[in-house]
Amino acid sequence: MKQQEELFSRLVREHKSTIYTVCYMFSKDEDEVQDLFQETLINMWKGMEGFREESKIGTWIYRVALNTCLTMERKKKREIKKVPLQMDVNLFEDGDANAKQARMLHQRISQLAYVDRAIVMLWLEGMSYDEIGAVVGISAQNVAVKLFRIKEQLKKM
Amino acid sequence: MEEQYFEEMRQQMAALKGQLDKQEIVSDHLIRKIMKMRTKDIKSTKNMGIFAAIIGFIMFPLNSIAHSWSWAFTIATGAMLLFCVIATIYIHRPVEKLNYMTSDLATVARVMAHFKKQYDNWLHYVTPALIIPWLGWACYEFAWKNCPEGLNPLWMTLPIIIGAAIGGAIGYYYHCKAVNAAKDILEQIEEQ
Repeated sequence: MKQQEELFSRLVREHKSTIYTVCYMFSKDEDEVQDLFQETLINMWKGMEGFREESKIGTWIYRVALNTCLTMERKKKREIKKVPLQMDVNLFEDGDANAKQARMLHQRISQLAYVDRAIVMLWLEGMSYDEIGAVVGISAQNVAVKLFRIKEQLKKM
Repeated sequence: MEEQYFEEMRQQMAALKGQLDKQEIVSDHLIRKIMKMRTKDIKSTKNMGIFAAIIGFIMFPLNSIAHSWSWAFTIATGAMLLFCVIATIYIHRPVEKLNYMTSDLATVARVMAHFKKQYDNWLHYVTPALIIPWLGWACYEFAWKNCPEGLNPLWMTLPIIIGAAIGGAIGYYYHCKAVNAAKDILEQIEEQ
């Protein structure tokens, strides 16, 4: 158990920015990001029993975060009281250049359908079509077709 | 031009991650709180079914000894409740077994669609097939067999019908809650 707790803590700290990025792209405000982030951690913790460290961690983290963002009932009351995230910046409101850039990306991606958001995010992270397919559950060819369509959609924005 | 557009998006993504890497984001308090959680999922529908079954198994034999229900009716009711609990567990199992660490989005969508279909089938076919004969039998046991002299048995069926209506409304509320949750999830995955 102790080993599992240490592994969980390490995974969360190592992949916090990935988890936050996914939650950010599926949220409309900071409050929703916090809800999704916490829910993702809950799902990660619940799934720790079946976790094998030798597996590709990055892909798995994406899977949990995306599954959570896609399946969380947003209106539902949370299971546990929300603990605020330790953030010095508010990517939805701050006026500095970095936050503006993040918002620009958020604005583009958030206009896409949920699954398309997932695909384009994974593609922007530099994942291969096979890896994207493994996360989303479609073939690499299907990823290529979808990505082509998404790119066309993005260009029109 | 096209490549430049997506390159810009890539840079924005890298900048975002870079900015987030500098943030603490997760406190020890949050991690501890998450780890304290037991895997007590929100299984209100399943819990409701189990609760109803326990109540049934306790109440019906007591009622049969103390009052007017026959043993045959008690056994049939117990069997029906047991069947309902087993069916509820069977329907909920794939959803509860969904592992967020291993299931891809397509699997989640498939499991949710199956769950919703089974719930709908249960409401449309199994519920009427079980409840209508059971209600008829309950009316016979309660109203006709034990009707005090001079009283119309139809008046005696009123409490059963009112009870059934209340029970039905509660059951329908939980049914809608489970189906709507699955529907919302499906819509989010399959939208647009």
